[in-house]
Amino acid sequence: MASDPTDFARRSPLHRVLTSAGAEWSAVAGGCIPMSFGRADEAARARTLGLADLSVLPRVGFKGREAPGWLELQGLTLPSAPNLSRRMDDGALLARLSAEEHLLLSDVAATGDLCARLVSAWSMDTADGVYALPRSDSHAWLLVTGTRATEMFAKLCAVDLRAHKFADGAVAQTSIARVNGIVIRADLGDIPSFHLLFDWASADYLWGCLIDAADEFGGGPVGRNAVLDLITA
Amino acid sequence: MTRLGDAYGTAIDRSKPISFRFEGKSYDGFAGDTIASALAANGVWLLSRSFKYHRPRGPLTMAGQDANTLVQIGDEASVLADRQPIHDGLEARGQNYLGSLTRDRGRIVESVARFLPVGFYYKAFFRPQGAWRHWEKLIRRAAGLGRVNPSGSARYYDKAHGFADVAVVGGGPAGMRAALEAARAGAEVVLIDENAALGGSLGYARFDVDGGRAGKEGAELSHAITAERNIRVMTSTTANGWFADNWLPLIHGNRMTKLRATAVVAATGSIEQPMVFRNNDLPGIVMGSAAQRLIRLYGVKPGKRALVVTANSDGYGVALDLDDVGVELSGVLDLRPEPPECPLRAEVRRRLIRIGDGLTVCEAGTRPDRNHLAGVKLAAIVGRGEWAETKEVIRCDLLCLSVGYAPTAQLLLHAGARAGFDVAAETFRIEDLPAHLFVAGSVNGCYELDAVLADGRRAGAAAAADAGFDTELPPAPEPAASPAVCFDFPIFRHRKGKDFVDFDEDLTVADLRNGVADGFEHIELLKRYSTVGMGPSQGRTAALNTARLVAAETGRPMAEIGVTTARPPFAAEKFGHLAGRGFHPVRHTAMHWRHVDAGAQMMVAGAWLRPAWYGGRQDGPACIDREVANVRENVGLIDVSTLGGLDVRGPDAAEFLNRIYTFGYLRQPVGRARYVLMTDQTGVVVDDGVACRLHDRHFYVTATTGGVDGVYRQMLWHNAQWRLDVDVANVTGAYAGVNIAGPNARRVLQTVCDDVDLSADAFPYMGVRQGVVAGLPARILRVGFVGELGYEIHVGASLGEALWDAVLAAGSGFGIAPFGVEAQRVLRLEKGHIIVGQDTDGLTTPPEAAMAWAISRRKPYFVGKRAIEIQEAKGLTRSLVGFTLDDAAGPLPSECHLVIRDGDIAGRVTSIARSNTLGRVIGLAYVAPDQTEIGSRFQIKGPGGRMVEAEVVPLPFYDPDNNRQAL
Repeated sequence: MASDPTDFARRSPLHRVLTSAGAEWSAVAGGCIPMSFGRADEAARARTLGLADLSVLPRVGFKGREAPGWLELQGLTLPSAPNLSRRMDDGALLARLSAEEHLLLSDVAATGDLCARLVSAWSMDTADGVYALPRSDSHAWLLVTGTRATEMFAKLCAVDLRAHKFADGAVAQTSIARVNGIVIRADLGDIPSFHLLFDWASADYLWGCLIDAADEFGGGPVGRNAVLDLITA
Repeated sequence: MTRLGDAYGTAIDRSKPISFRFEGKSYDGFAGDTIASALAANGVWLLSRSFKYHRPRGPLTMAGQDANTLVQIGDEASVLADRQPIHDGLEARGQNYLGSLTRDRGRIVESVARFLPVGFYYKAFFRPQGAWRHWEKLIRRAAGLGRVNPSGSARYYDKAHGFADVAVVGGGPAGMRAALEAARAGAEVVLIDENAALGGSLGYARFDVDGGRAGKEGAELSHAITAERNIRVMTSTTANGWFADNWLPLIHGNRMTKLRATAVVAATGSIEQPMVFRNNDLPGIVMGSAAQRLIRLYGVKPGKRALVVTANSDGYGVALDLDDVGVELSGVLDLRPEPPECPLRAEVRRRLIRIGDGLTVCEAGTRPDRNHLAGVKLAAIVGRGEWAETKEVIRCDLLCLSVGYAPTAQLLLHAGARAGFDVAAETFRIEDLPAHLFVAGSVNGCYELDAVLADGRRAGAAAAADAGFDTELPPAPEPAASPAVCFDFPIFRHRKGKDFVDFDEDLTVADLRNGVADGFEHIELLKRYSTVGMGPSQGRTAALNTARLVAAETGRPMAEIGVTTARPPFAAEKFGHLAGRGFHPVRHTAMHWRHVDAGAQMMVAGAWLRPAWYGGRQDGPACIDREVANVRENVGLIDVSTLGGLDVRGPDAAEFLNRIYTFGYLRQPVGRARYVLMTDQTGVVVDDGVACRLHDRHFYVTATTGGVDGVYRQMLWHNAQWRLDVDVANVTGAYAGVNIAGPNARRVLQTVCDDVDLSADAFPYMGVRQGVVAGLPARILRVGFVGELGYEIHVGASLGEALWDAVLAAGSGFGIAPFGVEAQRVLRLEKGHIIVGQDTDGLTTPPEAAMAWAISRRKPYFVGKRAIEIQEAKGLTRSLVGFTLDDAAGPLPSECHLVIRDGDIAGRVTSIARSNTLGRVIGLAYVAPDQTEIGSRFQIKGPGGRMVEAEVVPLPFYDPDNNRQAL
């Protein structure tokens, strides 16, 4: 059922620009997410170059000297080294940002409960040496999909993100159009896909840069439906 | 039309005719034509005029390596006509003429050439005194190439990053062979060529008698490259420089690709060099390779009657090509007295074409319009650069020169290689190659096709191995067995001059000889004195002959002369390419669009945009007064999301803050906030904020908008040094914040917050609570920057807009209104609060800023403590005080206006405002230490230099007993 992002307190930093771009919204995870932009070629665009806003989906970060042990205690199997990510059983993605810092992204369908479980398990009193980070608010979250994605990134980012240099699961903490960002490669089938997390307050700015960079490849916003199609394809 | 049949013209597509205009006249060409080739096909050779003497200029290299073909296209000046493709609707014009291109009134300059010797502008114009300002106007009008439209609209340029194991610059036979070899070793290769198609000399040159080998080799290599997945081909792309770690800026279209390669192969080829004789710059006199390019690439018959001058086998290939396409050939002059036989020369002889050994051209003549070659006078070479006229005149409209080459070595020189001189080859040779850089083909002194291909193979394999790929290294090719391709001294000076060495700058042999005679014997000095090599072609066709002249004049060997320093860019590049798209990050708070919708005037604050005030751009003072009054009398709401936020957590959090900040934090209770003041190691104030203790091991610390990133860096640095058990997280962007301020603040907050006791006793000033506001989890800080009852509410950034909406709705019954940064500045000034960075500078210590109260004297250490103690012991040199002006309605000084005492600077104003609340002008200023007593008077040098009387008054100006913020 169609919703309006302003019906919810939790809002994507891009809700206004995405509404202008024709987003059709749906309630999920206590907020609203663009499900579609009403384009007939949206699925094809997702395969070529699509930008999907996942900013309201759950995510959380933990760091501290005891964080890795605590996460394992919660039943998570950690990536073997920094700058690698690993898919969790419920579809979530765990990225290891350093020896002591991890970032957990919920699955795109937001059906898993791992993020919520960890958030409720943690407190200053119960997890000594473990510090939760407000990743749901500090970072906007886009999923960039499509065969032309790496070419678009090459216009904004100095890291070579092509598959033979930046394999599925690889993590880069880098600068995108001069904004600090985390790029996690998480291919959807044979379609190159990248989670891009960056400063929440810079969302309007970076969205403009991304759309501008995507234009020459016919890229642009896609809704979550097009992304879920890639997952199930 | 002089277009040849379909057997010629590999670059053009005859199925796509194109119409364009040059000098206002319409011409036809084909897709793939350049402006110069299409005009040549239409019999038009005059493209532009020379810089100094306005001499006619036509195609010279047909390779984009000379300044002869610079034309104007719309607003864009100095476009290379022999590289710029034509398209329908293109409008081009020649450059640097007065009147018309064909009848240039500017040619009159040449008639006074003898009064304009080299370096004349250093010797003239400064006499008599005051003459320069007249000359300057004249010279500035005459200077420059083409016209720039200063009000032209901006175009879109961008940049991209590129990646390669091996970058091969130059797509001729050596480059193609190198790329294939490297790719087959497994390397990812980018093959770059500035031309529209790969092939280099294989596309136009003649290597064998029947003329078929070049095309066959070219087709085979192109096919292999197309089939090779590891090679990315970038044509119409100029590698415009070499920078550290094999970083190559690649210019193509409106984009600069910043290519980073593990290894680089420079297969950049060589540039055919001109011969010097009288009138050697006339249109119709071209390099042999230029004629071949016109024939084979563009299908253009380059002339009706031609003469070839050569000193190598290539010139005979040119002659055969001309003969093949029906150009009447007057003969081939070989500068060498006894040239060795070669198959191409034999074929020329077999075709009964005249060959004249030991002969040269000593002078060229023009048609009556003086714009094109009409004929040449021949001479016998009787010594090095010496000749004797034979009285023979040959009428011709085309003269092709194949007398030698210079390596296109610019990228290699950028990288630190050296241009030595190969005495046997009579041209420059690249030496001292840096690591990870390889060279192949004619730039490496290989000219025979087999040697070129073998050299490419060697370099490609070596580059792949250098990039970490396992491959066998083929042996280097044998040194060329063929004789030198360069004539040792193709300079035939004429007593009447006009024997040009540098076409860009109209410099003759006499000019350069005079420069040397004036004492500028070093090539770098001669360049600066004479401007040789300074023109748009940067000496590509002048450097070798200049070096030969200097060597001859000074008696030094060529190896000692060398070339002038080569610096990027290789070819002209636009500021747009350097600037690219431009990325200037701007941060928006969660409520940004609410401010815009409310009509706020947004201002830059660090990386953020903040509302300055709400209302019209011209209505600032009234809006600010209204916003201030609403806070003082009622309740206002300000977005404080941009303030820095840092979570400092861990068992040692209090100890950490105790060392970082000047105050004491060890005994700060949970639920309380305390002012923080940060100084650096020199005791200088760098930031301030509050530390909110949310947990025994958790402080939420605020920082200034512009200072938080620096504070965070300092904290991380010190945390690494001290190894305390603390974690620091910069959560600035993660929290949105509002400040509800004014006597009605509590009543507004009470309507949306029922799980925190907001009463003054339960939640006093500088208290901190965590609770729920409008259904949102929040950190609530009772602070008073503006001097009224106030609550800062911090929620997750994703909830910020909803918080803003909820508080405005809750306050609507109380007349709540948003206020901006400008109103906040007035409010805090009334309260006497400083702004770090405005009321402090890069040298201000806490005692100077009247902040000594914020220093804990009992703790053993904080960053800057020792420096502050030393400064206090030495005594202050200035102090920050509050002041008012005697004349509230008089001229208002500005921030940074000086405090003057006995004619000297005693301090400066840091903040000043007319306070409606107080009915007077108030401000903060640095004054001398003995001027700080209440009631002391000082003078400010105000607007227009008028002295304004001020009096020191106690701080704060407003609510001195702090009753209002403690309500």
